[in-house]
Amino acid sequence: MPALKRALLLLLLCLYTSFAAGPFVWAAMLSLRTTTEIHRNHFALPSPAHWEKFSEAWFNSNYGIYFANSSQIVVSAVLILTIVGSMAAHCLARYRFRLNRLIYFVLFSTIIFPPQITIISLFQILVQYGLYNTKVGLTLVYVAIQLPLTIYILESFFARIPSDLFDAARMDGYSDWEIFWRVSFPIALPAVATTVILNFILLWNEFLYAVVLITDEANRTLPLGIQQFIGDSQEDVGMIATGLMIAIIPVVVVYAFFSEKLIQGMTAGAVK
Amino acid sequence: MAVVTLDRLTKIYDRAHAPAADAVSLEVRHGEFMVLLGPSGCGKTTTLRMIAGLESISSGALSIDGRVVSHVPAKDRDIAMVFQSYALYPHMSVAENLAFGLRRRSVPRAEIERRVKAVAETLGLAGLLDRKPHALSGGQRQRVALGRAIVRDPKVFLFDEPLSNLDAALRVSTRGEISKLHRRLGATMIYVTHDQVEAMTLGQRICIMNGGKVVQVGPPLEVYKRPANTFVAAFLGNPPMNLLPARATGEKGGLAVNLGEATVELPAARCPPLAPGTAVTLGIRPESIAEHPRNGGLFASIEAEIVQVEALGAETILAARVPGMERDLMARIGPESDAAVGARRSLSLDLSAVHLFDATGAAIAP
Repeated sequence: MPALKRALLLLLLCLYTSFAAGPFVWAAMLSLRTTTEIHRNHFALPSPAHWEKFSEAWFNSNYGIYFANSSQIVVSAVLILTIVGSMAAHCLARYRFRLNRLIYFVLFSTIIFPPQITIISLFQILVQYGLYNTKVGLTLVYVAIQLPLTIYILESFFARIPSDLFDAARMDGYSDWEIFWRVSFPIALPAVATTVILNFILLWNEFLYAVVLITDEANRTLPLGIQQFIGDSQEDVGMIATGLMIAIIPVVVVYAFFSEKLIQGMTAGAVK
Repeated sequence: MAVVTLDRLTKIYDRAHAPAADAVSLEVRHGEFMVLLGPSGCGKTTTLRMIAGLESISSGALSIDGRVVSHVPAKDRDIAMVFQSYALYPHMSVAENLAFGLRRRSVPRAEIERRVKAVAETLGLAGLLDRKPHALSGGQRQRVALGRAIVRDPKVFLFDEPLSNLDAALRVSTRGEISKLHRRLGATMIYVTHDQVEAMTLGQRICIMNGGKVVQVGPPLEVYKRPANTFVAAFLGNPPMNLLPARATGEKGGLAVNLGEATVELPAARCPPLAPGTAVTLGIRPESIAEHPRNGGLFASIEAEIVQVEALGAETILAARVPGMERDLMARIGPESDAAVGARRSLSLDLSAVHLFDATGAAIAP
């Protein structure tokens, strides 16, 4: 009976894995085939595998530039989000001051607005401040749109850190600034890792703000670069798949690096 | 060692109607083990936190060795504190937890290592230095918390209910360790608890608090034997003192106590002069009530029905209902008792051990 149960479980896991990983494997195969080959048979194996498509995309289709832009913008935004977000969350969770909850509510309530509502005004603001079509502008917009969610996730975690720990650190002679960096932040690392992964994936794949706020070829991010292969009448499916694979690699690396902490963050019931 | 003086220390929280600590005055002597005892919300932890520098002082003054430190930050008061929740840094090893306070004070690395090692050996933590707090048992965590305070060698140690998270057996052994620690270090220690057994066994003096105020300060047995008011009388002792309404009869200056339908006469020699008709409260400890009538001395007998028997092994606690009395009378008797629920007994009250309290609840001196 246990063997049957085990087999059933394995079967379910296999089915789910193929469901989850299937599109990824298919895209990986498409990335090694030309568009002509793909049109001939959508699901054939890459034979021969066209590895040269990666260098072609990187050097001839400006993917190198898009990749560098995406890295620069997303890494900066995630870094700012992590530092500012965790400080704000620590402050809202730890200190009692007037309007604490109101500030928290106002911050958090901004996530209810869909991007289509804010994008026109954001466009105007960036134009006014000379930040339209710049990497700095897009970075700041990314920070602004992701900050409420980051604070929300981190605040609930920081609030669970017993206040005795802060008192103990104060008795040990540490200032509030030192307590944040030496006690709060390291304890909250699982939650911080969760926000790093979420923000990284969301921003790395972000398209709407980028397509509205960036028009210069030199400042384009990867999702905009991939869009170039989609024409009015036809699409270079093979190159789109190659571009997607290039775009996916950093996400996989970040996830692999932080996943252990992510799981800790998602399953943390209490700080012990 | 240090003298800690609290002069009318008061704490009023924002939007609070009453002060959490109300003009608390107390002097803790050099090397003394002082216990702040009281029920939840009586202001003992608030007082301790004001001493620690973790709460601002609304009014009054706090001084350590004659130096007023009311507005000195916690880190500059040379005080260490052991918290109820242990408050160990979960991301640091035991050694790092012990060294954390020393590192901030720029103690040389070699000296930190020496002190951490010495404290770890004293507390039996030598083999656990590389472990994180989550890999320790409750007792081990408690010892790390103690070690973190000891390693700093502070003037004053503060303990905020440090044993309340331990199981009963561990609590007894850790209590012994804290007592030994105090004898060895000879440091001034202030210990907050709501557990009277901890207070009675650890404290050289205990300070009983209620409603933010100090009610009585004194050596444990002194406070137990001579409670300053009905609150202390009812708070100390398990079961607590029986408090019975009584009225002075005026006959020969004695006191008549109405125990339900019965009346017990207290001789004038055992009573302070009271105006006839004065309403008082008579207190008698459960251990001053015997199961069987006794002859001689100052004993009074009273008929009662046993309504509850708690045989604890070393002793038996009886709850007895006296006809016409609102509350049951609690008696602590020997383990050999054969009392059963429903049985009738003639209980014997030791009148030489009674306490009298006036209408405000304050003790009346005999």
